[in-house]
Amino acid sequence: MNRNNFLPHVALAAVLILVAAFAGQIRQWQKHWGTHRRRPARMRPYTAPDRSEEQRTFANRELLVRFKAGTPSATIQAIVSRLHDRVEDEIESVSGLEVIEDENGKDIDEVVAEYNRLPEVEYAERVYEIKADHAGGGYKHVHPNDQRFGEQWALENDGSNGGKAGADISAMRAWAITKGSDKVVVAVLDSGVDYTHPDLVNNIWKRPENIKAYEDRDLGEIDDVHGFSAIDNTGDPMDDNGHGTHCAGIIGAEGGNGEGIAGVNWTVQIMPLKFMDASGSGTTKDAIEAINYVINRKQAGVNVRIISASWGSTQKSRALEDTIRKAYDAGILFVAASGNSSADTDQNPHYPSSYNVGNVISVAALDSNDQLAKFSNYGAKTVHIAAPGVDILSTWLDNEFKLAGGTSMATPMVAGVAALVLSKNPTMSVDQLRKHLLESVDKVPALKGKVVSGGRINAAKAVGLN
Amino acid sequence: MALTKEEAIARARKDLVGRIGVTDITEAAVEDVEFPDMALGAAGKGEMSGQMITPGWRIRLSANGQSFEYRANKHQVRLYNYQGSNHRIQ
Repeated sequence: MNRNNFLPHVALAAVLILVAAFAGQIRQWQKHWGTHRRRPARMRPYTAPDRSEEQRTFANRELLVRFKAGTPSATIQAIVSRLHDRVEDEIESVSGLEVIEDENGKDIDEVVAEYNRLPEVEYAERVYEIKADHAGGGYKHVHPNDQRFGEQWALENDGSNGGKAGADISAMRAWAITKGSDKVVVAVLDSGVDYTHPDLVNNIWKRPENIKAYEDRDLGEIDDVHGFSAIDNTGDPMDDNGHGTHCAGIIGAEGGNGEGIAGVNWTVQIMPLKFMDASGSGTTKDAIEAINYVINRKQAGVNVRIISASWGSTQKSRALEDTIRKAYDAGILFVAASGNSSADTDQNPHYPSSYNVGNVISVAALDSNDQLAKFSNYGAKTVHIAAPGVDILSTWLDNEFKLAGGTSMATPMVAGVAALVLSKNPTMSVDQLRKHLLESVDKVPALKGKVVSGGRINAAKAVGLN
Repeated sequence: MALTKEEAIARARKDLVGRIGVTDITEAAVEDVEFPDMALGAAGKGEMSGQMITPGWRIRLSANGQSFEYRANKHQVRLYNYQGSNHRIQ
């Protein structure tokens, strides 16, 4: 090296070292002055359990715990250490709210329950992941942590198991807007509902204290705690078949509770009604009695806005039609199964779905490839919309879950989306709601000329997403 | 109580004996099928049924040179389209 160049080189090197050091310090300051006082997480290997890819995104070790106001920091630290966990982060904007990481690999739901039992804890919940939509539309979607959500292709069809990706009702996108509301009551007019099923129990309607017990001029007073049975005229609509329980789960099995399935609504009020017996059949007279009950409850102040009717026959009843018209007058949407005879209902009507009443939506069934189910009725003038109705997993008797198919299963999908819409737009009239649902569909080629709207119900569009 | 296939066949035979008064009944065919609804596609007058695909058995009996179709599942037995109408046996 030329001696004359030595000093300038040394000076340049010194400047570079100073610049590098200063840049490093800035990053340190940025970390220190960040919005959260984040404690660096320790890196450790984590082996995910054998679950689907989507479920795996939930198999993290984090939970959110809010300690009661005034709980000293030392107490929080002591609790967390005792439970072999670690405070990962503190959310400054909400006092007492901590992100906690489970350190000993216990089932995360057990850890959540453990915290919820502590007197110092206001609430604890697992972390729900919200991530960008697969389609890159810029919208969020919400994955529930319900154990069997991966089997609910109707809510999120990723194309596995022979299905077509996207042939679903876009529930996860809709949930970024609303997961339902306990202000909305949906009547499930069916074989009753097992109102003790663990995935339904928190979403079952209970008559509020300020609403008087049901009183019928002929039947007298009926203590309708959870609904009504028109079979024995009691306030006990317990399901002894399973069909009604299945339909109820599609509408509103509790979502995000870590077990079973997610309903279209995570939160809703299901009003169980029984008019079909243990074999799954009932009379028009009992159906009328049950609808009459719903209208009565609406007039008494219960916000029952939808009747889900997964049943029917080819026999027309003017009395049933008149009663459904009364429900329309009362502002109640009537969502009905189009029937399973592979028939064109424009030529061969199916009732009650084919009644020409302003609140009736007749629903056809689709399979996981967006094809009209081979059993489903259709009708360019008389069937209005389609929804998934093949291999649908939902709640069943004896705390179980079962796959079932039929326009029976497609119907509560639509009733459920109607409830989601009302959770966001509670003042929407029945006419507005019906029109809105039919205009919010995804057009499906297989439905062209088969149903009025030409499409499959789309929950995300229905709650306002494009 | 849930019916077995054999019990359903026995009930169908017994019903047919009572209905046509003949004891010489042949079991032509018994098939496992999926019916379109919970009335097994054989709803009676004024009857509404759940629109769920329902597994069951189609039982074809013959007597007096005539054929009779019964439909059954674990909950019920029905006689399909007998003299123009459906009949629920149980």
